[in-house]
Amino acid sequence: MTALLLLHLIAGVLAPVLVRWWGRQAFLALALVPAASFVWTLLQLRTVLAGDDVRETVPWVPALDLDVALRLDALALTFAALVTGVGALVLVYCARYFSPEDEGTGRFAGSLTAFAGSMLGLVLADDVLLLYVFWELTTVFSFLLIGGSGRRLAARRAASQALVLTTAGGLAMLVGLIVIGQASGSFLLSEILADPGSGPAMVWGAVLVLAGAVTKSALVPFHFWLPAAMEAPTPVSAYLHAAAMVKAGVYLVARLAPAMADVPGWRPLVLGMGVATMLVGGYRALRQKDLKLLLAFGTVSQLGFLVTLVGAGSRELAAAGLVMTLAHALFKSTLFLTVGVVDHATGTRDLSRLSGLGRRLPLLAVTGTLAAASMAGLPPLLGFVGKEAAFTALLDGGLADRTAALAVLVGLVAGSVLTAAYTARFLWGAFARKPGVADTEVGHAPEPLFLAAPVLLSLTGLVLGPASPLLDGLVARYADTLPLLAPEVEHLALWHGWQPALALSALTVAGGAALFAVRGPVGRLQRRMAVGASADEGYWNVLQGVDRLSVAVTGTTQRGSLPAYLGTILVAVLALPGVLLLTRAPWPGQWRAWDTPVQAVVGIVVVTAGVLALRIRQRLSAVLVVGVTGYGIAVVFALQGAPDLALTQFLVETLTLVVFVLVLRKLPKDITERHRPRERAVRGVIAVAVGAFMAAAGAVALAARTGTPVSEGYPGPAYDYGGGKNVVNVTLVDIRAWDTLGEVSLLVVAATGVASLVFLRRRTGGVERAPRTRLAQAERGRRAPRDRWLAATATLDPARRSVVLEVVTRLLFHTIMVFSLYLLFSGHNEPGGGFAGGLVAGLALVLRYLAGGRYELGEAAPVAPGLLLGGGLLFAGGTGVVGLALGAGVLQTAILESTLPVLGDVKLVTSLFFDIGVYLIVVGLVLDVLRSLGAELDRQDDEEDPVELDPGEVVLR
Amino acid sequence: MTIEAPDLSLAALAPLLFVFGAACIGVLVEAFGPRDSRHPVQVAVALVGTLGGLVTTVLLAGTREVTAGGALAVDGAGLFLQATIAGLGALSLLLFAERNLDPARSAFVVSAAVPAGSVRDRELLTVQRVQTEVYPLATFAIGGMMLFVTANDLLVMFVALEVLSLPLYLISGLARRRRLLSQEAAVKYFLLGSFASAFFLYGVALVYGATGTVRLAGVREAVAGAEGGTLVVLGLALLVVGLLFKASVAPFHTWTPDVYQGAPTPVTAFMAACTKVAAFGAILRLLYVAFGTEEWTWRPLVYGVAIVSMVIGAVLGLTQTDLKRMLAYSSVAHAGFLLTGVLGLPATGDAAGSGLPAVMFYLLAYGLTTLGAFAVLTLVRSGEGEATHLSQWAGLAQRSPLTAAVMSLFLLALAGIPLTSGFTGKFAVFRAAIEDGAWPLALVALLASAVAAFFYLRVIVLMYFSEPAVDGPTVGVPGLPTTIVLAVTAAATLLLGIVPGAVLGLADRAAIFVG
Repeated sequence: MTALLLLHLIAGVLAPVLVRWWGRQAFLALALVPAASFVWTLLQLRTVLAGDDVRETVPWVPALDLDVALRLDALALTFAALVTGVGALVLVYCARYFSPEDEGTGRFAGSLTAFAGSMLGLVLADDVLLLYVFWELTTVFSFLLIGGSGRRLAARRAASQALVLTTAGGLAMLVGLIVIGQASGSFLLSEILADPGSGPAMVWGAVLVLAGAVTKSALVPFHFWLPAAMEAPTPVSAYLHAAAMVKAGVYLVARLAPAMADVPGWRPLVLGMGVATMLVGGYRALRQKDLKLLLAFGTVSQLGFLVTLVGAGSRELAAAGLVMTLAHALFKSTLFLTVGVVDHATGTRDLSRLSGLGRRLPLLAVTGTLAAASMAGLPPLLGFVGKEAAFTALLDGGLADRTAALAVLVGLVAGSVLTAAYTARFLWGAFARKPGVADTEVGHAPEPLFLAAPVLLSLTGLVLGPASPLLDGLVARYADTLPLLAPEVEHLALWHGWQPALALSALTVAGGAALFAVRGPVGRLQRRMAVGASADEGYWNVLQGVDRLSVAVTGTTQRGSLPAYLGTILVAVLALPGVLLLTRAPWPGQWRAWDTPVQAVVGIVVVTAGVLALRIRQRLSAVLVVGVTGYGIAVVFALQGAPDLALTQFLVETLTLVVFVLVLRKLPKDITERHRPRERAVRGVIAVAVGAFMAAAGAVALAARTGTPVSEGYPGPAYDYGGGKNVVNVTLVDIRAWDTLGEVSLLVVAATGVASLVFLRRRTGGVERAPRTRLAQAERGRRAPRDRWLAATATLDPARRSVVLEVVTRLLFHTIMVFSLYLLFSGHNEPGGGFAGGLVAGLALVLRYLAGGRYELGEAAPVAPGLLLGGGLLFAGGTGVVGLALGAGVLQTAILESTLPVLGDVKLVTSLFFDIGVYLIVVGLVLDVLRSLGAELDRQDDEEDPVELDPGEVVLR
Repeated sequence: MTIEAPDLSLAALAPLLFVFGAACIGVLVEAFGPRDSRHPVQVAVALVGTLGGLVTTVLLAGTREVTAGGALAVDGAGLFLQATIAGLGALSLLLFAERNLDPARSAFVVSAAVPAGSVRDRELLTVQRVQTEVYPLATFAIGGMMLFVTANDLLVMFVALEVLSLPLYLISGLARRRRLLSQEAAVKYFLLGSFASAFFLYGVALVYGATGTVRLAGVREAVAGAEGGTLVVLGLALLVVGLLFKASVAPFHTWTPDVYQGAPTPVTAFMAACTKVAAFGAILRLLYVAFGTEEWTWRPLVYGVAIVSMVIGAVLGLTQTDLKRMLAYSSVAHAGFLLTGVLGLPATGDAAGSGLPAVMFYLLAYGLTTLGAFAVLTLVRSGEGEATHLSQWAGLAQRSPLTAAVMSLFLLALAGIPLTSGFTGKFAVFRAAIEDGAWPLALVALLASAVAAFFYLRVIVLMYFSEPAVDGPTVGVPGLPTTIVLAVTAAATLLLGIVPGAVLGLADRAAIFVG
């Protein structure tokens, strides 16, 4: 069996090549593949009739328990014979349906052959997951076959509609199959049937599997895709939409009915939808003018009929259903193929324009009439046998519930009346001569090969009617797996004697004829009763709704707005950890408002500054109030008894402000972006909530402390080993010196990065000293103040100079530098240290720059920042290396004490050198920032952005 | 006071050493190598590093040890994911190295610091000089990812997170064309990523505060001993937020579409494939090793987030008109599917249930497929670079049947159609979830798959069933690197769909964490 499937696959892949070589004759060669499968299937008949299964298992994905498990039993054999037999004939038909110059025939041939293989696999699969795989494969190939070349919008719409519906149903079915598999403990159909599970899981599984069957077999309410799919070429309609694919749902229901029929919910669903579909389809078929559409609605109706029979779960109905399935496949594909011939010969399928075709194409007319008679349930055709069996079954038992049986019977008889009526309409429409319509011209007579398939199929239907007892053995093999409700088994036969069922058959035919006779008034009535809404429109509305919804959601959530994105993340943080904190956190036992009232004052100032920062429109002022919050925090540090921290915070805050101001020169003065009040409110709420969350998390974490803080053990060793009384500083340069080394390295990288982004043209190589010539010119100009307080102020535009600032700078600069050195050296015991000292020195440089402009900076610190940075890092790292060389640990502190003349007792702690390194790095950082964000931006302004001016120059780093 | 030198198993560290070594050599080459020969040398160094990493992980198969002072856990799952990252990374580097498609020979800007749109920038646009800094950067990111999935310590995990993130932020902004878009993407990624990292770090602090350790095994013991309580849970929640951000799981996905669209396509491919693997590797290790006994805390969270992610990814993907954005939403949806598998983890024992191998397999399959899909995107170009608008792909099958066929294969795999790797992966994770009783989740996952399948198939329909636009895009002839990538990813997508047994078995055997 695997070989047959592979054969289909290979044929499908080779098909385009074959078509290129041999043209449309290639279809004949391709037809051999399903034909061979058909022969093989029939050869298994003996084994199957003997009650054995033909099984084959090839392991595929052992890790997931996926096997290629195939099984041929009576049911599978019936369907397999249908699929392969009709498939072969349709392929033969294709060899004449397509004209040699048609485009895309190769792809079509490949898809059709591959579809035949998938369909065969579907009915042979024993593993439910394999069944699903083939199920989806048929969906994909049907999509390709319906869409055709994709040139026509209607075909594309129909293809995608069929795809969406059947894929969605298929997925539901997959879930259902897995549920059933789990509940039954096996994924093999044979084992599930042998020992089905029970409980609510089976109910869910049943519903979900039915969803798959309903969509695939186009039952109400998903029936609308099938008529739309009539956009496909006729062979596709004949094969997929009559014999094969839509039968997959019927097959699935038939396959599972022995196990599932008694699951609550199964029967009401199957019977309800089946009967409803039969009636709706038949009713709609009466209104159609296009012969193909008429047949399509007829198919919908018949599928409802079939599902009702095979899903009912009794032996007699199942037997009737199987016969009916066979009959339907034979007559419906014949009819489709007939329409194809008509279409080919006359160029139209509109029954109001066709007239007198019966005389011109007699063979075709006979073929079509035979098939139609089978559809209407006329003896001696197979359709009659099936329908008769169904009626008998329902009259004698069929369903345990007699009321339900009668209701179903009434529905089926009504449906059969409609069937007979649209059958008559079809025959009349296709072949009859109509008054007032000119006889249709037949372009060219169909070739014998073109007619071979429909003739053969309809003859089979004719032969199998009288020969139906031959089918009995096969049908009974399957039907016996279901419980018999009738008093005795009714064998298949054309003639059962005078029975009530015969009367019902006569009634349906007579009713159909009557309905056809009054077609005029009926048509008018139907038009009047036509409902505005259809399931098809509903489908498109749903799709549009989903589309519109997702556009709306995308529009509101994905605007590319960073605040919106951040807001989403923050809301999620609030929703998950936030709720957790709120509901489950062990809150601190007691709350203290403040340690000193000054804290409250600082708090108010900080909060006010924060609020102001949001309201202020001027960038500079906003930055300043943000700075106020920082200073406020520094005051809190100082109040808490952490002068080192406070000092550093003050210095960093100041430097940050300066950098801000330098950058702000390049930006517009005002924040022009305005937000709607609601937006602001939402953001405000989120921001406050996140702030509160963070604060609360901190409070909870602090309150949860049970261990002793690690820092409590610091002061003693800090003095004993580190030789310093300032624990913070000793921590930085000794206890956690490695960390500090890492951090200063980071500073160096950051400074270099900032500088190289601003200095595009050259890396921070030389120092920009004031040009002597310009100084001299300024001297001569005599427009500058006479006394030069600073080195390079002369180069400044007089309008930008401030004598007061120059004088103050002159007075303060050296003092500040000395103070910074004091901080550096005293840091070990007093507040201060290399970091604070470096910041102070940096601020001194800032002062010089602000007072004297960009050349002043070069004069104040005639050294490249890179040198300072590198030197500092070398110094800090070198301390460690030296320590290592001297036999101590890396970065270990040594304490040298000696008495020097003049200075007296001097205690030298080697970590001082490390601190000097830090100092140098910080100074270098500030210098780099000033040079790049200050001086370089000045230069770009002065010289009108030379980056733009000389593009030929290479970027050097 | 002396510090014991940690035990280092050089063999177990070999994959990392290879990759990081290559990255460092790359930096040196960048600094000292002659400009003319830099490109081939950098490509060679990066490839040797990643492939070396791949080979060593394969050689290490079966290793189970905790090394580097307990900071690294080299185990089956870690090695499998490391190999996945190294392999996908090597393929991404090949995409970086492609020089045939863009007329200016490279997808990366020559000098990232030149302001976009300036005279100099316009000059440089057509210069055929190739920027080579991306190779060491990407190699560092790959190294970070490989460290991430073996980190046995929350701090090492954080360091790895930063090592992998920072280069990514940077190379996202290096697109040669549409530079502002690219830079905006990089800034957004950086800012939001910083928040995520901050949350992660806060989480580390809380967990440390509650349990007194950052070692995953230590956390597990402390948690099992019912220490910590709410603080641990709070910390876990914050840790997960940080990781979910990296894995672009909704609602932390907001950066994904913008960044995927803005970043140079090879970088997008790299991020989509490798970052996902790394982030999920870390999620698995964190949840399973450290919090395996605390399942009740994270199960509901993962459950909910998985649903949100699948639904958002699938529904929002419907409206996208840009292929890169569409694939971004697809990545969000797939993150949800992956989380479905994460729920299949059992709470007990060393042996993992079906969830872990399923997720590992899914990551490999998804990584290869998505990498291939982005590689196809680099082929289809118009005058302004890649043609990623959906309408430009109309009728592509007539222009280049092969490209359309390969793209269709990838899209079918992303949709999870049988006989592609996507189906096997999805099947495996869904089954794991179902076995764990997560019914409704599997149901939502299937529905989301159906919706998502719609937008993948729409592209196929467009390629095959539409008239090509008159002034449509051209399909470039890929050079050797992209050809290799396409061949490998397409073959893998097919093979993992038809005969996934061997790889599934491998994942099954490898699905072991040591802690």
